[in-house]
Amino acid sequence: MDAPEVSRHLAQKAGYSFTLLSDPDASVIRRYQLLHTRGGPEGSDISRPAEFLVDSSGTVRWTNFTEDIRVRARAAEMLAAAASIN
Amino acid sequence: MRQRNWFLWTGALVLVLAFVLGVLPFVAQFPGQGALPWLDLLLSILAVVLVILGLRVAIRKPHRYRGKAMGWVFTAVSSLLLVFSCLAFYGARQIPRANAAPRVGQKAPDFELKDTSGRNISLAQLLAEPPTESQTGSRPKAVLLVFYRGYW
Repeated sequence: MDAPEVSRHLAQKAGYSFTLLSDPDASVIRRYQLLHTRGGPEGSDISRPAEFLVDSSGTVRWTNFTEDIRVRARAAEMLAAAASIN
Repeated sequence: MRQRNWFLWTGALVLVLAFVLGVLPFVAQFPGQGALPWLDLLLSILAVVLVILGLRVAIRKPHRYRGKAMGWVFTAVSSLLLVFSCLAFYGARQIPRANAAPRVGQKAPDFELKDTSGRNISLAQLLAEPPTESQTGSRPKAVLLVFYRGYW
């Protein structure tokens, strides 16, 4: 939901080299059915946490939908999921 | 002879542990963190039980454990933390289910969004083009999509 400039600042600060995309109007969040209405700061709409691994044919191969916002998929599990794709 | 009230001290230790487990998912990087909030809740309950047992002992044998003040303090603190843990547990789970989200085996809906330099990037593009940091220049085998909220 952050604007590209906010994400650019984050990527620079944290040293991210992966692609960081912005969805300021939540259109893709909506398309993926992940909208958490009024779940964000000051009653704004926000995405629920979710992770998808998509193979080169565009098919979803692995997903993670946490039930507790404190708990997220960690790099190790996402890399393990990615390693299972040939 | 004066004795240490082990119920109380063990209860206090469990209390600290429960609190740590409650906030650990924000910082810890190991997988399988789904169990931590449940452990936090379990240990919070255990701490209250231990502290109340300790308080009971202190009240029944005051000559052995002297003052009961610590018992009351620990009981109050652990009860508060239990309430806090329950509220945090409840609050953290108030997120919509992802029942309608793309499932394994389905096609991931294509999209186009701006990256940090304002360029439009589509999922199709991410799947077809070698990533910028790629050394080999080969197409990626997969793309990982992470919808995040908060930076942890």
